[in-house]
Amino acid sequence: MLAALVFWGWQSGLLVFGAVMGVVLESARFIKVRWDLSTDDFRRIWNLCVLLAGALALYVFATNGEGGGFGSLLHGAATGQNAALSGIHTISTLTRWLPMIFFLFVAAQNFSEREAIPLSAISMIFRWRMNQADGTKSEWHVNISYPYFIICLFSAGIHANQGTHYYFWGQCVLLAWALWPLRARRFSPAMWGGALLIVVAIAYFSARGIGQLEQLAQSYNAQWMARFLQHGRTDPMQAITAIGEIGEMKLSSSIVIRLETPNGAPAPGYLREASYHNYHAQAWRAGGTQTVPNEFEDIAATTNNGTTYDLLPGKTNTAAVNIACYISGWSQDLNVPEGLLPLPSGCGQLANLPDLVALKKNKTGAVAAAGPGFIIFDAHYGAGATIDAPPNTNWDWTVPTNEAPALDQVIAEINLATNASDEQKELKVAQFFSSRFTYSLWQRPDKNAPAGETPLARFLLRTRSGHCEFFATATVLLLRELGIPARYAVGYYAHEADGDGKYVVRERDAHAWCLVWNGTTWQDFDTTPGSWVAAEAKRASALQWLKDAFSWLHFQFSKFRWGQTQLRKYILWAVLPMMAILLYQIIFRRGRKRQAKKSDGKKIQSDPWPGLDSEFYRLEARLAMRGIPRQTGEALSEWLERALLETTLADLRPLLLDLLRLHYRHRFDPEGLAGDERKLLAQKTETALKALAEK
Amino acid sequence: MKPLYRLFYIAYRLISGTWHWAQRRFTLAGLLVLTGFFVTGAVGADIENTVTYQAFTLLFALLVLGFASSFFFRAKFSAVRFLPRVGTAGQPLHYQVEIKNLTAKPQIGLTLLENLTDPRPPFPEWLAFQMAESKRVRPFRVAQRRQRNPFRLATLKPAEIPPLAARSESEVSAEIMPLRRGVMHLTGLTIARPDPLGLIRSFFKIPAAQTVLILPKRYLLPSIALPGALRYQEGGVALAANVGRSEEFVALREYRHGDPLRHIHWRSWARIGKPIVKEFEDEFFVRHALILDTFDDEPNSEILEEAVSVAASFACTILTQESLLDLLFVGSQSYCFTAGRGLAHADQMLEILASVKNCADKKFEALEQLVLNHVALVSGCICIFQKWDDARRQFIDKLKALNVPLLILLVVPPGGGIAGAGGSLVNADGTFYVLEIGKIQETLAKLK
Repeated sequence: MLAALVFWGWQSGLLVFGAVMGVVLESARFIKVRWDLSTDDFRRIWNLCVLLAGALALYVFATNGEGGGFGSLLHGAATGQNAALSGIHTISTLTRWLPMIFFLFVAAQNFSEREAIPLSAISMIFRWRMNQADGTKSEWHVNISYPYFIICLFSAGIHANQGTHYYFWGQCVLLAWALWPLRARRFSPAMWGGALLIVVAIAYFSARGIGQLEQLAQSYNAQWMARFLQHGRTDPMQAITAIGEIGEMKLSSSIVIRLETPNGAPAPGYLREASYHNYHAQAWRAGGTQTVPNEFEDIAATTNNGTTYDLLPGKTNTAAVNIACYISGWSQDLNVPEGLLPLPSGCGQLANLPDLVALKKNKTGAVAAAGPGFIIFDAHYGAGATIDAPPNTNWDWTVPTNEAPALDQVIAEINLATNASDEQKELKVAQFFSSRFTYSLWQRPDKNAPAGETPLARFLLRTRSGHCEFFATATVLLLRELGIPARYAVGYYAHEADGDGKYVVRERDAHAWCLVWNGTTWQDFDTTPGSWVAAEAKRASALQWLKDAFSWLHFQFSKFRWGQTQLRKYILWAVLPMMAILLYQIIFRRGRKRQAKKSDGKKIQSDPWPGLDSEFYRLEARLAMRGIPRQTGEALSEWLERALLETTLADLRPLLLDLLRLHYRHRFDPEGLAGDERKLLAQKTETALKALAEK
Repeated sequence: MKPLYRLFYIAYRLISGTWHWAQRRFTLAGLLVLTGFFVTGAVGADIENTVTYQAFTLLFALLVLGFASSFFFRAKFSAVRFLPRVGTAGQPLHYQVEIKNLTAKPQIGLTLLENLTDPRPPFPEWLAFQMAESKRVRPFRVAQRRQRNPFRLATLKPAEIPPLAARSESEVSAEIMPLRRGVMHLTGLTIARPDPLGLIRSFFKIPAAQTVLILPKRYLLPSIALPGALRYQEGGVALAANVGRSEEFVALREYRHGDPLRHIHWRSWARIGKPIVKEFEDEFFVRHALILDTFDDEPNSEILEEAVSVAASFACTILTQESLLDLLFVGSQSYCFTAGRGLAHADQMLEILASVKNCADKKFEALEQLVLNHVALVSGCICIFQKWDDARRQFIDKLKALNVPLLILLVVPPGGGIAGAGGSLVNADGTFYVLEIGKIQETLAKLK
């Protein structure tokens, strides 16, 4: 056991703990003092361990992503990398700590008089069965040292792979140790050793092989995985569109954002997460150059408590909306969730934000928040200025050369006047899309496509049907070709009311549109036919209400989990008293229980022999105090005769004898005393007691 | 619903088959290795954040070596099993197996495993049981007492074989714990050898088909005064030849659960090492009818098993007391079987009871007809019912009208009372007893 615990400690970075625990457990061989622990005691210790495990799970889960403090001790530097999935992280942390959590239980077994623990101490089912069997079944016992040994070996393996094989060799030694007593006596030790060597050789090369295979798979998959993982969250630097993909676009109907406007005001409509300026090979990018960088810059909080941030200081905001959204990304640097905020156009101030680690913005209008995984805040907005940088000649007029021919063909079709103003051009473009294009989520494969035709050209010239990414991309490029600066924006379109002044935004409401520069500010410009909302809504399933209910539960849970940054403190404060109570119960409850049993015993006996509640016993006690105690085995009548020998009691003789007669009847007569007689017994006893007190 | 149950049935066959295979193929350490193999395989998939994949490969290699070595078991044996003719459900059945090593090499560290016929029922029988079970057990009552798997015949204990010298033979004591009454078919013996690391067994199979009859479980009955008096028996002259006043000792036999302790022959016990009882010739001429209710839809009902056990307890006890006993029940046809007083032995009655099944195609009236035809001969009736309904109540009323003394025993599921108006009968001078499963012995001990 010492070896297993040391191995566990070494592998988990808790060598000292492991060694101390191992020494404590092994010391049971030399220390002969043993505790007399009952099944109930084992049950309490087990409950304490389980509670400890639960508390640890809750604690790790709650502190996940908040970083620092006790939390960093728990995950350690290496495993922290994977902390994005907090559930898995919780389980792995818990598994690593299992030997420590259940140490008390194993120690209790080692230092108790029993060599094994009854299963009913651990399992509710066994306990229940034992109660049912009413003592007719013999109890199953298990020596938990063996499972504990296995847990130690297993837990030792739950740590980041650093490319070493120490774990492998360690567990080879420990397993060989464990298997030696179980070997088949039929074979010589040499043969056993040979077999074990073969096993170790096979295992070693398999382990190496798995490591290499995994590396190969990772390098091959890196790009594909990146595309796959991007689903569901917006990258501020690039947006890979589905333009050119064949088949149906599918987005779920789960609720991702909830809005609430004051006094039932209308929803802001477009909620932008990011915008992009460079189109190439069906992907929009927002990256800058060395001369014109587009890095995120920190925004300082306006107020001391860090809940209000001015994005556009001095701007007059005319409307406000309360936004609740999930932050699904992860910041590797800060080790916390990080993601883009969906903001209405012209947003000037964010208020009532939770305790954020950082809030940043870039030149293309993306605002990233790092901190909790779920944020509720107020966005104040109004027409006019936005946080986006003004148009840049490097980007915002640029059209890819391979798309230009198709765009020129369309411009010819629109038939614009040569001296048309920007507004007229925009109007014409909008009319062009609304009159000649349809919205469709379905893209057919086209075998007859001319060589070199881009998907966008195909959309503009032949199919004239597509989803919002087609419309937005085509509009941006068309406007640029017409000399108007434009950008590609992505985010959500809020339209679904959910009660008074409340709106829900589903994943399928994700949208792409166009930002157009009107000379002073960027404005939203959407050419996607209005039917897209209806087309998307058609895919709502009949069970949407159920999904919505789950979404709501998830929302409430997230609010609870992320809404209170003090959660871990609360958990600690809630868990500590519980632990204290349980410990108290384990240590002191035994005596109390014995007392309880005694009183129970009286109750049970008083049922078949009701005479035990007779007041005569008080009389007996009083006489005993006077120095006439009843001897063990002495009948009441004999004792009373002996007591009445005392001359001072002579005048009480008839009363006492009468009482004794009543008491005997009450005690032994199958029919007992009638109600009046019972009262008489009580009254006469009182009289006698008073008389005795006077003497 | 049925296709779904078919799916469950396939899963049941697969899981139980795999578990049976694993239990025989792996030693306890081997089972742990197998479990660890699956767990580390699942956890180790994330090879960046855990290194349990290294444990996975080690366990994998252990299993590979174990299976590989199971192909190299070159040995030959012959074996003969010496089985008793009958056993009792719930009582261990001990027997000897003689094993001969046919090779020129000594063989050590072997284990003997017994092979039983596949106890898993065909789909219709399994479905009937599941349906009955789903009616009985309310959903989401995890702690509710579940019926024991009624299809499981016995628990087998692997027996250690002592070292066998080259071409020599040795005797092994084996033990089977039969779990249910009926005929138990043993198909053969398997001699198992573990691999060098002691994880996986390789097998040598010896065909040895044999059967053993498992008698129903029996309860201890107090010495009871059965209702009824001596009665003239037609054709009783031949029987009366056996009648005498003295308790004449006739034979010795093995102790069966339920035999009175005062009949134990202590000297024989000391000599043989297991309890032996004396049998006495019966002297009186009271004739009782033991009526067993076999009318229920459920083929594997726990209530029937208990009712049969109660009937078997009476069959054993009354015959060692002083009377004739007629066992009346309806199976594929109506049966009346008389035992006692030299006509037949209690063993035979137990053998019949071992094979009683529920009768789903006839109505209770069939039993009523059988009993009413027979009732003129008997001094009293012991009725063992599986339920209490109008048909049974009317039947009892008819017997009462005929002035037949009665002892009525109703077996009910645990926690179940009697449905309907049985209340008046319960109070009637101790002739009606409700036997709740799990508390049957307690109630039977109160019989007067």
